[in-house]
Amino acid sequence: MGIIRGRNLRNGLLFVSPWIFGFIAFQVYPIFYSLRLSFTRYSGFGPPTPIGLDNFRRLFSDPLLWKAAYNTLYYTALAVPIGVVVAIVLALAMNQKVREVAVYRALLYVPSILPIFALSFVWVVFSNPRYGLLNHLSRLVGLPVIDWIGDPRWSKLSLVLLAQLGAGGPALIFLAGLRAIPTELFESAEIDGAGPIRRFFRITLPLITPVILYDIILGLSLGLQVFTQAYVIASTGPNTMVGPDNSLMFYVLYVYRNAFQFSQMGYASALVWVLFMVSLALALIVFRWAKSWVHYEIE
Amino acid sequence: MKRVVSVGFVLMVAFTPVFAGGQGEAGADDGPLELTFWTSHTPPDSITLAAMVDAYNASQQAVRVEMVQVPGSETDVAQLMTAVRGGTGPDIYMLDRFTVAQRAAAGVLEDLTEVMEAVDPALPDAYIPYAWQETQFQGRTYALPFDTDARVLYYNRRMIAEAGIDPAILDSANGPITLEQAREIARAIDQTDADGNYTQVGFIPYDIQFSQGWHYTWGFNFGGRFADLDAGRVTPTDPGVVAGFEFVRDWAADMDPQRVQTFISTYAPPNTPTQQNAFLTERVAMKVSGDWVLKWLEQFTPDLDYGVTYIPVPTSGAQPSTWAGGWALVVPTGSDHVEEAFDFMRWFAGEPGQRMYTEGTAHLPTYAQLMNDDALFDGDHEFFRASLAFASSRPPLPVGALYWDALTRAFSSVTLQQEDPATVLQQVYDEVQPQLDQFLPLQ
Repeated sequence: MGIIRGRNLRNGLLFVSPWIFGFIAFQVYPIFYSLRLSFTRYSGFGPPTPIGLDNFRRLFSDPLLWKAAYNTLYYTALAVPIGVVVAIVLALAMNQKVREVAVYRALLYVPSILPIFALSFVWVVFSNPRYGLLNHLSRLVGLPVIDWIGDPRWSKLSLVLLAQLGAGGPALIFLAGLRAIPTELFESAEIDGAGPIRRFFRITLPLITPVILYDIILGLSLGLQVFTQAYVIASTGPNTMVGPDNSLMFYVLYVYRNAFQFSQMGYASALVWVLFMVSLALALIVFRWAKSWVHYEIE
Repeated sequence: MKRVVSVGFVLMVAFTPVFAGGQGEAGADDGPLELTFWTSHTPPDSITLAAMVDAYNASQQAVRVEMVQVPGSETDVAQLMTAVRGGTGPDIYMLDRFTVAQRAAAGVLEDLTEVMEAVDPALPDAYIPYAWQETQFQGRTYALPFDTDARVLYYNRRMIAEAGIDPAILDSANGPITLEQAREIARAIDQTDADGNYTQVGFIPYDIQFSQGWHYTWGFNFGGRFADLDAGRVTPTDPGVVAGFEFVRDWAADMDPQRVQTFISTYAPPNTPTQQNAFLTERVAMKVSGDWVLKWLEQFTPDLDYGVTYIPVPTSGAQPSTWAGGWALVVPTGSDHVEEAFDFMRWFAGEPGQRMYTEGTAHLPTYAQLMNDDALFDGDHEFFRASLAFASSRPPLPVGALYWDALTRAFSSVTLQQEDPATVLQQVYDEVQPQLDQFLPLQ
């Protein structure tokens, strides 16, 4: 028994060895390397100069860093809850008992297949204050015209809206969660006289809370690392601002700037470690908070 | 047996990248030496660059240069940095000249001093002095100057005439108009729709989306100095620079900053193609921009009735101002063919290359001898050449890109958010000076 087990372990490890190799070379090593760099001044070339905690001290007096952190938290705080709600609504729509449901599912899912950089280009056209579809629609219903990208008060919300085009992915997971709820629960509730809204809040919602938690954690991680949309929409050409008044300067974009534009790899590494710590702390807080509202009854 | 197969399979998968990577290395000895030249330029300029590379390849047998267009911009060289670090960088790169010192300080560039002295010690004298100065870092040569440019005021005669003003007052023969006059003309041209949004404007002096209304443009215009190289100091709080920032703040306040921004979002959204530039589509009647726009106008809107003149001055009778930038050719660290690359650069940034580029793109040459060749400058192009006589240039600092970005941010908060110029410029100093301190002394 022991021999077979040992052999299985060895073969198993051999089979996953390409992944293990890649994981160590391209993930573990860079993680620790960046930690080391965060205590140095390093342009990317030549030897790094150790400077102790200077990079971390500099964080406090870097106005743009605080702006980037604020923008990122602002975006995440909006994108995560809105994303959860949109994904649940999509999942409910995908779960309707109609004959063409497969077609609806495909239609609702299609936008999330498109790469975000392509959607970003489309978004610029959609959001044009005079010629864009968004403002055309709001004019039709009598709403004021909004400069979705050019107005710093709206630009972040505009990217939150853009992110909802990718809600098809999480919606599929919610759909799986919905399908896992035993139908007897709904039937007996219905017999007891519970209407559809009550059934949703009393049965559906509590039973998909594990998926909601998963989606929040995932959304948190994606939100804190938002990059592509802002890079495509607002960071091209000679204009070195990201969005009007840097309103779309997000944290990871700022890290990128420091590393590759200002040749400050050491400072960029320090920034990344701070982001990691903050992300970790936020995730732990969410997990702790989740204990009070996540139910695992059906497993 | 099964075990052998599975282990063999694992090894095969694991080493596939290694085998794949080894292919295509052999057989490089035949034919001319291959060099790679990267540029982030886009059409129409890159079309001329490609023709120049072809001409160089045809001029000799030993080397064949291949031009590759890569993503990047004036201050964004991420593609270059990662490639050089990974050992796959190009042999020649085209870099915005005012960032040469910064990239040299970061170790991205090969020191060309020795190669140059071996080939042609008199080369520095062939170039316009300020352009040559921008290729230096701590007394060493890291680049050859390529083109230069100058900024002027473009104006649309039809739009000005339709507003009831005689465009002849803008004629450059009359000297520069004042900013006050420019404001009056611009106000007469501004038009809004029912919502109060601009549908056409006279002049947005601080626009950087479709024009060149940079911080440097207005700082220099008010006699500002952006750095004291001898003292190793950036001087964003210089009274002239502050005055330039105050001027754009007041102009923005007068037009309503957010409505200007909405105009820009509408008619100059991100990634707008050149042919939809707001001046070419006649949405804006005046703009500050450079010589390259001459070619755009010629190519895309040959019927547009425009003129070029001096950038308006703060007070009547003041000396006009402009500033000159331009690009440079460099050899990124790690090239195995520095001498061959330098030979290409000497051709490309020398008489034959710069002649082709000046003719093809309407930029200005930095090769001094070409500046005296009257045949190269016809019509409005001549006005740009003459402008170089009073042009300033950006200080060649090892933190040039960082300083530029910090100034851009300050500029925007002054216009869009109406913040106090002196305060935000002090913040620029506080941010940039500590980074510059690492490189002192500069000379």
